[in-house]
Amino acid sequence: MTKKLLNKTTRIFLMFSVMILLISAPVFYTISHWLYVYEADEILFFHKGAFVKNHQAEFTETDVAFWNKYNNDSKFVTDIQIEKDSLFSKMYFDSIANEEEPFRELWSPMEINGKRYTYIERINLVEMEGTVLSVALMFLFIIIVFLIGIIWISKRSSAKIWKPFYKTLYQIQNFEIDQNKKPTFETSEIEEFNQLNASVEKLIEKNIAIYKNQKEFIENAAHELQTPLALFQTKVDTLSQSTTISESESQLLESLNNDIARLNRLNKNLLLLSKIENDNYIEKQPIEILTLINKNLDFFIEQAHAKDLIIETHFKENLSIESNPILFEILINNLFLNSIKHNVKGGKIHITVKQNSISFSNSGLNNSLKMDQLFKRFSKTNPSSKGNGLGLSIIKKIVELNNWEIDYSYKKNLHTFKVRF
Amino acid sequence: MKILIIEDEIDIATSIKNYLKTNEILCEMANDTQSALDKIAMYDYDCILLDLMLPDGDGFVILKELRKQNKSDGVIIISAKETLETKIEGFNLGADDYLTKPFHLSELLVRIQSLIRRKQFNGSNTLLFNEIEVNTLAKSVKVNQKEIDCTKKEIDLLLFLIGNKNKVLSKSAIAEHLSGDMADMLDNHDFVYAHIKNLKKKLNDAGSCDYIKSVYGMGYKWQND
Repeated sequence: MTKKLLNKTTRIFLMFSVMILLISAPVFYTISHWLYVYEADEILFFHKGAFVKNHQAEFTETDVAFWNKYNNDSKFVTDIQIEKDSLFSKMYFDSIANEEEPFRELWSPMEINGKRYTYIERINLVEMEGTVLSVALMFLFIIIVFLIGIIWISKRSSAKIWKPFYKTLYQIQNFEIDQNKKPTFETSEIEEFNQLNASVEKLIEKNIAIYKNQKEFIENAAHELQTPLALFQTKVDTLSQSTTISESESQLLESLNNDIARLNRLNKNLLLLSKIENDNYIEKQPIEILTLINKNLDFFIEQAHAKDLIIETHFKENLSIESNPILFEILINNLFLNSIKHNVKGGKIHITVKQNSISFSNSGLNNSLKMDQLFKRFSKTNPSSKGNGLGLSIIKKIVELNNWEIDYSYKKNLHTFKVRF
Repeated sequence: MKILIIEDEIDIATSIKNYLKTNEILCEMANDTQSALDKIAMYDYDCILLDLMLPDGDGFVILKELRKQNKSDGVIIISAKETLETKIEGFNLGADDYLTKPFHLSELLVRIQSLIRRKQFNGSNTLLFNEIEVNTLAKSVKVNQKEIDCTKKEIDLLLFLIGNKNKVLSKSAIAEHLSGDMADMLDNHDFVYAHIKNLKKKLNDAGSCDYIKSVYGMGYKWQND
């Protein structure tokens, strides 16, 4: 699955942020908890140290009883046999708050007036719990705000940064080599995009040049061929008048005549294709389809009769469309001729004009034609046929030029080409 | 009849000249605009065949010069260019006909004849061949003064055959002539046979001699024997 570039970059950001959040919250809690306990321990040792320094020497047993009476969190108990200071956490029931509360406690051996005691001091950690929690929450809140900010900014700025890229992409997507419109790229502040634009521009220019060259070559070649073709034709015509020609020679001459006609047709079709590509036929005017079909109907009926074809016409309405009359006539003629040319002796042709479409159906080969090769130049179903394989590419070109659609189908032994306007 | 062929391809000009010679048409040749202009200034021609692409300039110069000198020579442009614009420009500058290369010499000949008929007979437009009489304007055929019923195509074919009398006409030349603008679409010349057969039958039924001869393997010939 493909994702959009901007989503992809922010997605990584988002994932990273969530991960940091998930890891940092417990780590932060643990560290601050440890720090607080450490501080509490320091205080416990500090209190003990202060007692040892200030009071231990002059302390008496009466003082011990006195001390224990007024100090809630620090007292002396009879020796419980510990050798050195020891620290631990413990829960005590607090009668005022009426709940168990965490405490940190120090047990320390102490000698007072030659008698061994154990000094116990504890610090309530409830305060710490609250502080750590509120600090953690605040920290979390700051981090979340921070991350959202970062994501938002990065999204905004990357949208801005990538904008020239999307513009370039749009230009390339809309570029078509056979339409004389070169894409124009804006310069951006980012060097890489400028480089990209420059490279694409160079590539397009090169392609246009090659395309133009090719077009010119076809046009020039076709033009240049006309003079030798004319020479060829006039010489064959002259030779045909010779009185000493044998039957087999005259057969050869007639086939030469057919070859010239074929060459000529090929040449004219190539010229036509390059003329269409060179936008020589752009003026449009309204055309009545039936008038146009009827214009050359006699010619095609004549051609069809030579093959014993039956022509059926279904003209539902006289469609009027806006197009170039020369090209449209060529389109209709080519479709008509195709349906005659690729027909079988005694076959049939159906011409249907409906609202927004015209279709030519004909009998012919008993299998469907290959769609992908159909409209290619010089592609022929039967390689030895006399056609030049340009008819359908001319049709396709005209259809494309007018933004129409053409499709081919094979149903009930009929090959149908349908042009939708 | 005198014709000027303005054409830089000597071979084409010579072929035209040789083909027309047997029809009592005298041809002069010019292979660039300068020599063409010299000839036009000195002589009058019944018809001028003009190639548009000449080594020292555009053929249109000659059309403009003819107009300037108020000459009424008929002009048929013979050119490899076949864009609508060049055709329109040619006609606007006074050309009478336009034939795209390559063409059949037989086609050229009937175009010249038709042009000269239009120019000289001032609308009388009748073509006579022994007992056959063709009115090219009314599109009617008479055999021994009796009108016969022919289609437009058949009359066209008859004019083409008579115009090229004693010449072998290939099937493709006839097919292309009969198809007119649609000639480029042709890929089958079989329909020619049907037209020839029908015309032959109509003429014979009306009592005309059989002038249409088949030339084996190639086509047909109008022959008076």
